[in-house]
Amino acid sequence: MNLLSASQRSETQPHLSSGWNVLAACIQPLYNLFVTAKEVVLTVDLPYVKQKGVKLSFPTHDSIEVYAETSKKITFKDLGIKHRHGEFTYYHAIIPMPVPVNERKAAKKFKGGLLEVHIPRK
Amino acid sequence: MPSSLSSGDGLRIIETEPISKQAVVINGLPDVGLVGLLAASHIVRSLTLREVGAIESELLPPLIVLHGGVPKAPVRFFSGSGLVVIIAETVIPSALIRPLANSLIDWASAKSVKLMLSLGGMAVPNRQDIEVPKVFAALSAKTVEPLLNGAADILEEGYIVGAYGLLLQKCAQASIPAITLLTQSHYNYPDPEAAAAALNVVNRILGLHVDTSDLLKRGEEIRLRSKDMMHRTHEEMTRMNKSHEYDLPPLYG
Repeated sequence: MNLLSASQRSETQPHLSSGWNVLAACIQPLYNLFVTAKEVVLTVDLPYVKQKGVKLSFPTHDSIEVYAETSKKITFKDLGIKHRHGEFTYYHAIIPMPVPVNERKAAKKFKGGLLEVHIPRK
Repeated sequence: MPSSLSSGDGLRIIETEPISKQAVVINGLPDVGLVGLLAASHIVRSLTLREVGAIESELLPPLIVLHGGVPKAPVRFFSGSGLVVIIAETVIPSALIRPLANSLIDWASAKSVKLMLSLGGMAVPNRQDIEVPKVFAALSAKTVEPLLNGAADILEEGYIVGAYGLLLQKCAQASIPAITLLTQSHYNYPDPEAAAAALNVVNRILGLHVDTSDLLKRGEEIRLRSKDMMHRTHEEMTRMNKSHEYDLPPLYG
């Protein structure tokens, strides 16, 4: 299952070198992957997000999709930038899994705007 | 009139205002969790330090930073209250680290710097489970320990990769007292809580009263605003094998 429509995904994927997609109102989050002998641990930094705003899916067997709504609209002005316009309402990323995983047994926790997902290896 | 100190590496330290001698220098370069940059920026803002200089180098990216509509060099010096704070608003490329360390040591020697205090992060995998990050100190010499006032645990063994490692070594060689504070932090997420913990130790070492509550209160905004800088810093840390810091040194004493 994909959390975004195909058109939204195409808008949020290729250009994200800047990390701020004004057209899609989307922010690309910072994330980290650790691979241990038993699991893959994904962490994602999601300031301005509450636990209920986080959705995960596995669009393919070798990737995880993170969608997280912000608790308020974020504008460049909020961040002290006046010459750029745009507001952002969610984070989105599709993250390739470095090894085969058992996505059905993924477990997540969320604390202080930091998402942590443990996914057992196959 | 600005004065400048040039090194053979083509790096220039430009003083737009004379910087007084025997100051305490605080380094806030981008590093793990942006701890040093966030903490040093907070000191500049809290103590309303004056901008007094900058670093120019061909090895820096060709960019300026606009603040208040005025173009600024990305690596700048701020001064006041007996402090000189050095902040970099761009990633320091690996190729610039040695020339930067050499120039800063030459400059610090000429200025009879009282103490070189570098602020950085020490990544820990369970950071989100740590309420109050711990701060560790690497010293240029055992004789520097009294300056620490017992404010941090001393780092006895390990590697320090990047500018702070070289600075500490060169300070030791030049007999400049130096402390590198490494605070438990996220690796590649901006960590204002770690910056606040580092500042609490700086307060104890230097007898300052910098209020850290704003860093904590505005934590989400700071994390989001520093996201892109963290991303670029992470790329550079990967290039310079920052993960070497998690290796154990093979020799034992």
